[in-house]
Amino acid sequence: MNANEQAARNKKINHAIKITLLIVLFVCFIFPFVLVVINVFKSKADITSNPLALVGAHGFTLGNFPEAMKKMNFGRSFINSAFITICSTALTILFSSMTAFVIVRNNWKACGALLGMMIASMVIPFQVLMIPMVSLYGGILGVLNHRATLIFMHVGFSLSMATFMFHGAIKTNVPVALEEAATIDGCTRWQTYWMIVFPLLKSTIATVAIIDAMGFWNDYLLPSLVLAKKELYTIPIATQVFYGTYSTDIGLVMAALLLAMLPILILYLLLQRYIVDGVTSGAVK
Amino acid sequence: MKTNTMSYKCKQFLMFAGVTTAVFVAVVIVPFIYGIYLTLTSWDGVSKEKPFVGLANYVATFADGAYWQAMGRTFLYSVIAVVLVNVVAFVLAFLVTSGVKGQNFFRAGFFTPNLIGGIVLGYIWKFVFNRAFVALGTSLSIGPLSSSWLATTGGAMLCLIIVSVWQYAGYMMLIYVAGFMSVSEDVLEAARIDGCTNTQSIVYVSVPLMMSSFVQCLFLTVTRCFMVYDVNLSLTNGEPFNSSVMAAMHVYNQAFTYKNFGVGQAEALILFVVCAVVGVLQVYVGKKGEVSA
Amino acid sequence: MKKKLLAATLAAAMTASLTACGGSDSAQEKGDGVSITIFNSKIEVQAQFEEMAKEYSEATGVNVEVYYSNDTVAAHLATRYSSNDPYTLSMVDAKDVYSLAEDHAIDLSGEKWVENTNYALSVGGKVVGFPVCVEARGLIYNGDAIEKITGEAFNPEDYATLDAFQGLLEKLAAGGMETPTGIMKEDWSLAGHFLSEVYEMQDDVDGFITSLHEGTADLANNAKWNGKMDYFDTMMKYNYAASSAIAAEREVSEQKLAEGEIAFMFGGNWDWSMINAYEYSENMGIMPVPENTSDGSNKKLVGGGSKYFFIDSSENTSEEQRQAAKDFLNWLVFDEAGNAFLTEKCALVPAYKNIAAAGLDPLSVSVKSYADAGNLIDNYNYLPDDHFSLCGAAFQKYLAGQMDRAGLAKEVEAYWASTAPVER
Repeated sequence: MNANEQAARNKKINHAIKITLLIVLFVCFIFPFVLVVINVFKSKADITSNPLALVGAHGFTLGNFPEAMKKMNFGRSFINSAFITICSTALTILFSSMTAFVIVRNNWKACGALLGMMIASMVIPFQVLMIPMVSLYGGILGVLNHRATLIFMHVGFSLSMATFMFHGAIKTNVPVALEEAATIDGCTRWQTYWMIVFPLLKSTIATVAIIDAMGFWNDYLLPSLVLAKKELYTIPIATQVFYGTYSTDIGLVMAALLLAMLPILILYLLLQRYIVDGVTSGAVK
Repeated sequence: MKTNTMSYKCKQFLMFAGVTTAVFVAVVIVPFIYGIYLTLTSWDGVSKEKPFVGLANYVATFADGAYWQAMGRTFLYSVIAVVLVNVVAFVLAFLVTSGVKGQNFFRAGFFTPNLIGGIVLGYIWKFVFNRAFVALGTSLSIGPLSSSWLATTGGAMLCLIIVSVWQYAGYMMLIYVAGFMSVSEDVLEAARIDGCTNTQSIVYVSVPLMMSSFVQCLFLTVTRCFMVYDVNLSLTNGEPFNSSVMAAMHVYNQAFTYKNFGVGQAEALILFVVCAVVGVLQVYVGKKGEVSA
Repeated sequence: MKKKLLAATLAAAMTASLTACGGSDSAQEKGDGVSITIFNSKIEVQAQFEEMAKEYSEATGVNVEVYYSNDTVAAHLATRYSSNDPYTLSMVDAKDVYSLAEDHAIDLSGEKWVENTNYALSVGGKVVGFPVCVEARGLIYNGDAIEKITGEAFNPEDYATLDAFQGLLEKLAAGGMETPTGIMKEDWSLAGHFLSEVYEMQDDVDGFITSLHEGTADLANNAKWNGKMDYFDTMMKYNYAASSAIAAEREVSEQKLAEGEIAFMFGGNWDWSMINAYEYSENMGIMPVPENTSDGSNKKLVGGGSKYFFIDSSENTSEEQRQAAKDFLNWLVFDEAGNAFLTEKCALVPAYKNIAAAGLDPLSVSVKSYADAGNLIDNYNYLPDDHFSLCGAAFQKYLAGQMDRAGLAKEVEAYWASTAPVER
């Protein structure tokens, strides 16, 4: 009886500590966003003179939003960003998961070589590739200024990392026994992959999807090199006029940030459920 | 069906990895090789001629003191940031998988920093350090807060580390969460029956089973920290007195601001080799310690 | 099977997107006019340029697109050249014209506007750079703020010497404005704009730079160096951000200056684009940096032509496009609408004799009056590319109190001695 009570009390204390710790950390993490939300409704003069005031001396204003939207041509940039992000993410997941499967399940030289090269490529500083890439694709092939080219490159750059993640997931989370059973039932490798393995990867797919989508959505350097025409601009390229070496219009930066963040936040909240579902329902014990 | 013939292997490989290989080679490998060639020229980035100079750029790289200082600084920053990011991420992952109420809400909160691009994120934090903290410090007269941390050599480094932890911890948390959840309840139950305390079951059961998560997270943080550029540019821009210029930023300046494209490219290549060696070594060591489920 | 279908759909989507993009491209080129692209590197006039492009297109049938990038100009243009997709017209700094012109710019010597300006840039005996405006550096003051404390009219000419200037600062401090100055801590301001005045005010600038390269110059005993540094020390003494001088944010300093919390800051007429975001005083202007000297340099600003257009010479630009670009430059100089765009919309000090400028901002009015009176000391346009960054870092240490004047002089001398002369 006494021991049980003691255990229950310990558990309660434990729980309280965890909650407190969580809340403290949460406040630290969210603090900059709070500042953004406070300041985005102020005029530039008020932001500069008193960044902590809840309402500026010139009162509450929504002005930063329409100005930011107009200057970045929000509608068009948004559609470009969304199209590029969705296509790139879907293709990356498709090809990288397939590649990871063949690499994990076969001990071939080609597989080892490919994985090795991919892992090594993850540490190539982008500056090394920047000029050679535009020289080849722009100077020789002349295919820059197409959304499809950017999608192609996004996929090319993100395949390594996605393959690496699927590699880990297939290795640890997909039992070989399941696949063997499918083979005995007459499935080809292709069918086995799509019917058995791919569905088991739900949680990793969700993880890769959110991570890659974020990367694509926010990428600045690569799109700025590939898309040099105004009508193709993505959100990060369109917002570059708000900041720079000589001046930063922090009010517009903040407004653009909130506008650009919302869709990806919603995507995350949607996928978060699948990350949990995938792990709890997919596993075969 | 024969599964060990060359043609079967080729077909399988092409079917699953053909597109990947082609795209990867076209986007990464080919430009990379061309990039290596450019390190052998004294091109300035804009002129039409690319005079071949052999290994002169590598000689210049070894003589570039500022580059090696930046490398040393990057190394120091990376070690501290990698440790902190992973410790914080692991703790976060543990807390949000321990069954407290609203854990999805917390997860989303910790992950939100990743939803912002690196450059914008740097400007926001610069605002926080230079304005908000200082305003807070002066109005509440908290000494250490009343002047900007970004103005001192050590402070700028500290700020970079804080922002890196803030930026990456949520991301790494996701990977650790997946790791925690892949450890099946049965195993933990068994451990509990065998008399493990909570801490013991984490250290002796969960952690070994999550080895692949650790490998992934460490690799990602190590390489990201080594190549940090965006945040470096927008948060400190190398200031004060060029004391926070990291390797990638030095490379960029060398190539474009100072117009020594060949030298910059050679320095970037050496940065790549260093990253690759550290990264691969770390994966290799990690893989040895992996336990399969 | 379902997944196969998904893959097929995706592939189809890819193809569709490809063709869609191709479609949009041809649609863009179908207009019967020529299309030209302009690269603008002056962020503060980007909105004005875009508006102008629309109007210009409507009026002339030439389709104009204006671009901006916040990458380093050289880096951005390098990527455009590498991809064989250069801008028809690029607006760059003088030093970029020198490095780019030989390979990428056409000869503009025969253009009509060349006669009308003193600021055109020539490389190898050919005019290649079209000056966009005149800009100058000096000490920005807020007259209203000063007059409020002293109670008498503020005449910048009265404070040409450092002694007089110090007297004024003391008066301001005694009158309630305890810290009447601000200092921009950015390396491009400290080394690129301020330190370079030490070179630019020498009697023989080229000779002085050569002696720096050769290691024979002696900064510590150089009158100009000491004159400028004496002034800088005064500014540091009264700096509002003295306790953390190298954390002072430009935005904050500009706001304080605009609203009269401080009265003086070193800068240029481009600073107006930041000042005008706040509740500024009308009575502002730029005056020469005070110095105890009799050589007359303390009655002059430093400046001249700033930002230059050049026209691309590669085969990626057609003859029609080049002609359209030349027409555009002529429009800026000789058409009333073009003049109005430069002076009224962008508030730039014109670099052309035939353009009358009305409606300039207070700082530009100062600059124009000095320019018209021939009181501008020329910019030195051949500083090495890493000068602002490396000497700027040393200067920041001085500003932070971590280095003394002798130390800074040594650092600057060491920088020059270890740097190869710029080819010209």
